[in-house]
Amino acid sequence: MAYTFRGGTHVREYKYTSKCPIEKMAAPDTVYIPLSQHIGAMCTPLVKVGDSVLRGQKIGDVEGGLGCPVHSSVSGKVTEIREVPTPTGQKNKYVVIENDHLDTVSPDVRPFGKAIQDTTTEEIIEVIRRAGISGMGGATFPTYAKISSAIDKVDCMIINCAECEPFITANHRLLLEQPEAVVNGAKILMKALKLRLAHLAVEDNKFDAILALDDVVDGSPLFKVSVMKTKYPQGDERQLIYAITGREIPQGKLPADVGCVVFNAETCAAVYKAFSLGMPLIERIVTASGDCLDTPKNLLVPIGTPYSAIADFCGGYIEEPEKIINGGPMMGMAQWDVDAPVTKGTSAVLFLSKKMNSRYEQPESCIRCGRCVRACPMHLMPNYIAAYARKHDPENAESYGALSCVECGSCAYNCPAHIPIVQYIKVAKSEIRDAKAKK
Amino acid sequence: MKNDQNVSTRIVAPSLLTVSPSPHIKKGITTRGIMIDVVIALLPALVWSIYVFGFRSLSVVLVSVASCVIFEVLFELIARKPITVLDFSAVVSGVLLGFNMPATVPLWIPIVGGAFAMIVVKGLFGGLGKNIVNPILAARVFLFSWTDIINTFSEPFSSLPIFSFSVDSADIVASATPLSPMKEGMLPDNSLVDMVLGTKSGCLGEVSGLLIAVGGIYLLARRVITWHIPVAYIGTVMLITFLFPMAGEDAVQFMLYQTFSGGLILGAVFMATDYVTSPITEMGKLIFGVGCGLLTVFIRYFGGYPEGVSFAILIMNLLVGYIDKFTKPKRFGGVTKDAK
Repeated sequence: MAYTFRGGTHVREYKYTSKCPIEKMAAPDTVYIPLSQHIGAMCTPLVKVGDSVLRGQKIGDVEGGLGCPVHSSVSGKVTEIREVPTPTGQKNKYVVIENDHLDTVSPDVRPFGKAIQDTTTEEIIEVIRRAGISGMGGATFPTYAKISSAIDKVDCMIINCAECEPFITANHRLLLEQPEAVVNGAKILMKALKLRLAHLAVEDNKFDAILALDDVVDGSPLFKVSVMKTKYPQGDERQLIYAITGREIPQGKLPADVGCVVFNAETCAAVYKAFSLGMPLIERIVTASGDCLDTPKNLLVPIGTPYSAIADFCGGYIEEPEKIINGGPMMGMAQWDVDAPVTKGTSAVLFLSKKMNSRYEQPESCIRCGRCVRACPMHLMPNYIAAYARKHDPENAESYGALSCVECGSCAYNCPAHIPIVQYIKVAKSEIRDAKAKK
Repeated sequence: MKNDQNVSTRIVAPSLLTVSPSPHIKKGITTRGIMIDVVIALLPALVWSIYVFGFRSLSVVLVSVASCVIFEVLFELIARKPITVLDFSAVVSGVLLGFNMPATVPLWIPIVGGAFAMIVVKGLFGGLGKNIVNPILAARVFLFSWTDIINTFSEPFSSLPIFSFSVDSADIVASATPLSPMKEGMLPDNSLVDMVLGTKSGCLGEVSGLLIAVGGIYLLARRVITWHIPVAYIGTVMLITFLFPMAGEDAVQFMLYQTFSGGLILGAVFMATDYVTSPITEMGKLIFGVGCGLLTVFIRYFGGYPEGVSFAILIMNLLVGYIDKFTKPKRFGGVTKDAK
């Protein structure tokens, strides 16, 4: 029996690229490296306009507090440090680097050179921080901070290979092509947290990946390949932890509070690279897909590559894209700029045409069909929260659990009346917070 | 690859893209699709009613549909609201309204019923999704004002005029529905096979329990409805009539006669499952179904009318808001199991 959870929904998979091997994409002439790519503070730039930088060189860091350094993904010259608005209206800064195409690697990049069993937790945390690794599933929480906060609190580690979002096949290909990188990275993380067992959680629609992992694990007692039922949002860490351990994370708490820690598969691979090669996180696997691309592909992309370069590399458009999405279609963020760059959290870039988009359907009255209630993985009544949000009634919205909503979109995906339920709940959440701030 | 050389035909992305909140894809279910599924599910019973009562029943149903659609549009025009006729909910209402009257009614009855359902019960409460009680059942109860007309049932396979506005009472071979003798403590003359298949007198859409159930299975397969309300409702009626039979030699026989009489199956499958006027949660649906079942048997046993389905569902409709509140699901993370 595959592990699963109550609620959720079967989304159409659109996994066009599951058979496409990862292709290495050459770095473009110009890369735009955002100084804020993680949860936490924005980095202070360590380079100025006109400086020469090398591949893997640190170009920004956070002094104290939560945050990760960022590194140059090419060698070349800094031409500009540009301030840009993000899709959510905040400010970000890009370090614009002109690529000299020499790929000169920074002398800072060198293997860790010490056996893992002789390494202390502190050393592992330090290497991971120095490599700028943050959660690569999309939430981009700095990995070193996750480890620090989990020390001595967790007894269960889960490597998230569920990949429940439609379109995305980046983890799937990683598991097929480099399963040993994932497993070795997981071993390093287990050593840091002094754990003896990690679950490798894979949805049952990736049977070949399950076999590949089984091969690498080869009966080792350190790993258990846990087969998950294919259902959205199985990759949400709350649902993953519940499915495997039966523990529910209370609202506002973290996995460590129920003794669990979850790492994305590619994060593990990045940890392994940081130890074996010393290479910081400067490239990642991105699924470039959507109905507008001529040839959807899985790509190994340097951080900072603009989406437009990815579209060109995939044969250009066969239809005019109306939305470009960073991440999956259920929770990903629509971008306003075709030249927005790939960041450490970009598991996919989707180019969707008008006909894929849902926003042209006019919302109708709620007919109380209950599909949102059945689909909610947090067991809320999204229709009621949306209705109270519409009336600007934060008190009732909160009593129906608005703050527990994880914005997975299962409700709106299934709504026959095309009500933008998630949008309403977001409004309710901010009004609840405003009302609390006033008190 | 497309003709890359020909730059003029190359598609480029707009320099400013559309930004909107996730999710960016949808399953593609629509209210209209759901309503059309309900209409499809009603067709077997409609075909059966034409077989039993002749094409007069089709006339009654078509007049009901036209009445519901026209009065909904008229109301929306006068109230200056968006015209929602394309969601097909008025068509579903129309078919069900027709199903709830005998084939003998004069055609002004479905017209009046449609007006009452669409304007008073649905429109004035705010339209689709806002009405508190089931419009069709409310209209049916309203039409009880013309008791003689609405309770004149004809014998199966008696020929009725197809088009004429009203049916001459001399042409009607009147017949009591099976519920009337049961009210008096006797089993009806119909055989159990007649009861299940629907060769008996009654409202035109409710006679064939079998074909209504076929429609119900279609709705279940299409995931339009869930099993909770029909099973809880019919199950409750079966259990109580089995435990407390009022007629016949054995309890099982009485239970089956009760189950296939009147509007029980039509009500349980198509009326009590109306989204707008039934609870949202699964637990709520079970409570609602049991409540409908209890009230139905209570009215059939002790009430003034032989039939209680309409009243039972209408009364339970009024409690839906409270049932929803009472059965709010336990939130994920509400209680931690095995927390450290």
